[in-house]
Amino acid sequence: MQRSVLIFTFTALASCLHAAGPISFNRDIRPILSENCLACHGFDPKHREGGLRLDTFEGATADREGARGIVPGDLQKSDAWQRIISEDKDEVMPPPKSHKPPLNAKQRELLKAWIEQGAPYEAHWAFIPPQAPKLSADGTLPIDQFIQAELNKHGLKPSPEADPATLIRRVSLDLIGLPPSPSEVDAFVQAYRKATPAASDELYRALVERLLSSQHYGERWGRWWLDQARYADSNGYSIDAPRQIWKFRDWVIQALNQDMPFDQFTIEQLAGDLLPKATVNQKIATGFHRNTQINQEGGIDKEQFRIDSIFDRVATTGSVWLGLTIGCAQCHDHKFDPISQKEYYQMFAFLNNQDEPEMKVFDASLDIKALNAELKTVEAKLKSLIQERYDEVLAWEKEMASGFRAKLAGPVKKALSKTVAKRSLEDNLALFGVFAPPSDPLRILNDQYQQLNTVLNKGTTTLVLKELPKPRKTTVFIKGDFTRPDVEVQPGTPSVLHSIPTKSGQLNRLDLAQWIMSPKNPLTSRVIVNRIWQQYFGRGLVETENDFGLQGSLPSHPELLDWLALELMKQKWSLKALHRTIVQSHTYRQSSATTPEMHEKDPQNYLLGRQTRLRLDAEIVRDVCLAASGLLSPKVGGPPVYPPIPDGVMGQGQVKRVWKVSEGADRYRRALYTFVYRASPPPSLTVFDAPEGFSTCTRRVRSNTPLQALTLMNDRGFFEFATALQQIIQSQGVEAAFKRCTARDPRPDELAVLKELDALNAARVLLNLDETVTRE
Amino acid sequence: MNTLQHQTRRHFFSRCGVGLGSLALGSLMARDDALAPKKTHFPAKAKNVIFLFMAGGPSQLEMFEHKPLLTQLNGKPIPDSYVKGKRFAFMDSSHRSDLLGPRIGFKQHGQCGAWVSDYLPYTAKIVDDISIVTTCKTELFNHAPAKLYMNTGSGLFGRPSMGAWVTYGLGSECDNLPGFVVLQSGPRGPRGGAVLWGSGVLPTTYQGVPLRNQGDPIVNLSTPEGISSAEQRKVVDAVRELNLKRLVETGDQEISTRINAYEMAYRMQTSAPELMDIRDESQATLDLYGIKDIQETSYARNCLLARRLIERGVRFVQLYDTNWDHHGGPTENLEKHLPEKCRDVDQASAALVKDLKQRGLLDDTIVIWGGEFGRTPMGEVRESTGRNHHIDAFTMWFAGGGFKGGTLYGQTDEFGFGAVENPVHVHDIHATILHQLGLDHERLTVRSQGLDFRLTGVDPARVVRGILA
Repeated sequence: MQRSVLIFTFTALASCLHAAGPISFNRDIRPILSENCLACHGFDPKHREGGLRLDTFEGATADREGARGIVPGDLQKSDAWQRIISEDKDEVMPPPKSHKPPLNAKQRELLKAWIEQGAPYEAHWAFIPPQAPKLSADGTLPIDQFIQAELNKHGLKPSPEADPATLIRRVSLDLIGLPPSPSEVDAFVQAYRKATPAASDELYRALVERLLSSQHYGERWGRWWLDQARYADSNGYSIDAPRQIWKFRDWVIQALNQDMPFDQFTIEQLAGDLLPKATVNQKIATGFHRNTQINQEGGIDKEQFRIDSIFDRVATTGSVWLGLTIGCAQCHDHKFDPISQKEYYQMFAFLNNQDEPEMKVFDASLDIKALNAELKTVEAKLKSLIQERYDEVLAWEKEMASGFRAKLAGPVKKALSKTVAKRSLEDNLALFGVFAPPSDPLRILNDQYQQLNTVLNKGTTTLVLKELPKPRKTTVFIKGDFTRPDVEVQPGTPSVLHSIPTKSGQLNRLDLAQWIMSPKNPLTSRVIVNRIWQQYFGRGLVETENDFGLQGSLPSHPELLDWLALELMKQKWSLKALHRTIVQSHTYRQSSATTPEMHEKDPQNYLLGRQTRLRLDAEIVRDVCLAASGLLSPKVGGPPVYPPIPDGVMGQGQVKRVWKVSEGADRYRRALYTFVYRASPPPSLTVFDAPEGFSTCTRRVRSNTPLQALTLMNDRGFFEFATALQQIIQSQGVEAAFKRCTARDPRPDELAVLKELDALNAARVLLNLDETVTRE
Repeated sequence: MNTLQHQTRRHFFSRCGVGLGSLALGSLMARDDALAPKKTHFPAKAKNVIFLFMAGGPSQLEMFEHKPLLTQLNGKPIPDSYVKGKRFAFMDSSHRSDLLGPRIGFKQHGQCGAWVSDYLPYTAKIVDDISIVTTCKTELFNHAPAKLYMNTGSGLFGRPSMGAWVTYGLGSECDNLPGFVVLQSGPRGPRGGAVLWGSGVLPTTYQGVPLRNQGDPIVNLSTPEGISSAEQRKVVDAVRELNLKRLVETGDQEISTRINAYEMAYRMQTSAPELMDIRDESQATLDLYGIKDIQETSYARNCLLARRLIERGVRFVQLYDTNWDHHGGPTENLEKHLPEKCRDVDQASAALVKDLKQRGLLDDTIVIWGGEFGRTPMGEVRESTGRNHHIDAFTMWFAGGGFKGGTLYGQTDEFGFGAVENPVHVHDIHATILHQLGLDHERLTVRSQGLDFRLTGVDPARVVRGILA
């Protein structure tokens, strides 16, 4: 029920697509070694069998008591080769107990030719900085040049452009996550059909600019980033209490809307608190790494879960920015990539030095500094006034009848029970409050004091990072077990990547963030363009979007990947520029319909000879139905909301949580504002594969299940949308409603099916169409 | 700019629409369904699983582990050699940790002579049909992580649960109910919640679907109020018809999957309520399980529903019964509250095994009974007596599906603290269950984040042959 359960098929396809040319180590040989050999003959010395390593030329050719794994140019003497072709089951590699089948004829042929050619090794492609590829000057956009070159090699052609109605719906859904209104569709389609090619390009360009400058752009791409930030509104684990961190969500939306350069976007999230004169917003940004879970179960060891949250931060940083499975080196040296366990803990050391406070965030219009200063002044005045007039209290106390004392309010009684020296300011204010007349200056001052306190206590809180003045000691943990510390380590980065500048004193998170965004980093730019590409085509140019290491798949279009990566940096890390570049291409704009020829030659569409129909993300399924039914509240940002959910959902976790349904416009907000409890997330989102925020999600699966059908047909929220769409049908006709869902006019045969039904059920059908929940 | 872009879509379809039309609709509608039954790695002994999960950690020392020395040394400190270097939950608390004798008597039962406590009179009668393992061992001593470990083989969130793995490995033989179903009883949901039956890195197709006791048995199962079932059928038909048109036009197989999904959803709307309606069961059956009120949610009713699910071809059924955490607090002691829990589950668990057996379903179905861990031989004396979480040796039993009845497997020391013979790690249990289903736990993998994930993790796990027929 899924487009591709196992996505790692490209390696195989790549080698059969390319086998014609000379042997390339990275393209032809490394995948074979990585898949079949390196788990036991790789980087990790603890699991290296027979002392042989095949991940480096030196290792493969080293003399081990007379035997050599590979002897360049000599198959006879190449021990590894002899073992691979052996028919003795005690000899053959990979060994039967590994459950890996013997190498097939094609793989053997490649290895044989490679050894004969001298067994040249290459550095792993992703660790080599991107290279500027050659472009032709025929006016074709660079993306289309690379895509069409590959298609040509396989005797395929790109598809024609999608029709303008499909195009405007596609680009609207992709850039802002909302469908175009019928009038937007009409205006665009009419103008586009009449225009010359050059003029229609201009129309499309203007459409893209309008969408990129919409406030909703930040919502749609913000959600993309929040997946990676594992954002949700509760603490997770079994207690799963609510938390406040939506200011971080709003920060992401705003940053994207302002097109904050991606390097700054990164640095503020990883180390905003360490920037000189850090602003409130820069501190809010550090919420990125506060989206880890917090265990509030009884009887736990808090340190264990603090360590777990740092493990998560290391793994997340590795996946999100480096596209490396650094987390694998938590318990042992990485089996495939050159990352040692010690290097893992050096990365850990960067992230081990912070307090994890809640920060109060006030309305931007308030001058908090001035208010705090005022509070101090008022407090001092009150104190001295009280001291001056304390005789009054003593006299009042003395004269008080004993029966009267019993009738006094609780705080007053409490104040009286203390000795004079022990009474606090609040105590004394309570006492004066009993006998001072309304016009008393002390009372007036007290009112002012209370008001200031109220204002200053109000603000919203958000979770942030705050560096400790003195770093914690970090050690390697044996097998990743926090009760088994090993040698101490200092912050540092993996030696296989570019070096981090040294400085006096210990390196900190800010140094790490700057190292990640260094132009020398071969990974981050590629990883990010790939992950954005994936949103547009359903699959990255590197299919393993979170693994650019040796086990990952090879790029389907390496030159295109490099060109995009360099272009992103050239455009000063502007994500909007990158979006513009991609959606302008013909590759993006072509039709998604498949032909028998394409279906046969490239069923999975690796070559992108067509666009891909993609089922909308969970949130956008809701947003599209909201927009089609005319109910959508366009409000951007603010505290999470509580749209209707099915009965009983909140009782499924260990602790029952209250879900008070929002009223008014907040009932119809975009889905990214829906409150998400990690342990009991809203079913209408999870059935469409929204992540729960347990760990970073760099790619959503797209399932296609009966529970989705039940949700769209029967869910209370969706039924409410249907009743609103019913009214549109009644007032404007079913054609108008159809267009609100699909951005096109129904054909007569389609209309005939809908006309068989009453307005309400026709509305329900429209919200259930595959086309409505799909970007075509 | 490329002239290709300006060919109209109409032109495109007038050209290739014919080609698509010539692809038989049947081939477009191919059942590419991820839940279709799949081939096993080797011939299977069993097809289905029912996992009876006692959430909280049942005390093996009041149920299956007969330790006379514990009675003798009641109140004496446990020798240091046992506890040195061990970590326990609530480590900082100062509850006493002297040995605690069992709160109940034990007798031997059946031909196999299994010791069973007097809290479990019904289980005592089926000992010759079950394999009792007293040396189960897990890694984590807090509830939520330990539950995750038992269900997913890992203490981390986001890994597929056993039910998801099995459904992924075998597919489903039921076309009107989900392949993996979860039923719950007890005062609240199990700690950890939905991740216990989650699909983790597998597609959500394989996640467990909780059948609920209140409201719709499945979330959003009922047709909205005011819509008749005839109208619902019309809606489903119209959706199908329009989706088919789109399928022909686009050639996208996902649409055919969606058409199937709507058909199954529609069937579920009838089959799930029919499943939950147990009025058609005989009085004798209700009595066997101890069901007094057929409407009321109970563990007993869930056991009966489990049998009905298996009859309908559902692959994996998991029951959670909560409140097995007997620390000795005011509502969780060994003298009053543990026997109450035992009464809740004893009769029905035994009835399920008997009922499956008499209907010829037991051969194909593995029944598992157990919790996330067991409890310490040392007592926790709070307001009354209880025991702490214990991960080194606890008891589970297995029936049907090629498990050897009347087997007593594993030997613990004289206090029941640790295994002295045949320890069985959680991963060994997983490997064994998969093995009986015809799946090799080392080959049932899914690639994610550069790794081949599997239920049994990275360390070696073994199939426990000693409990298999």
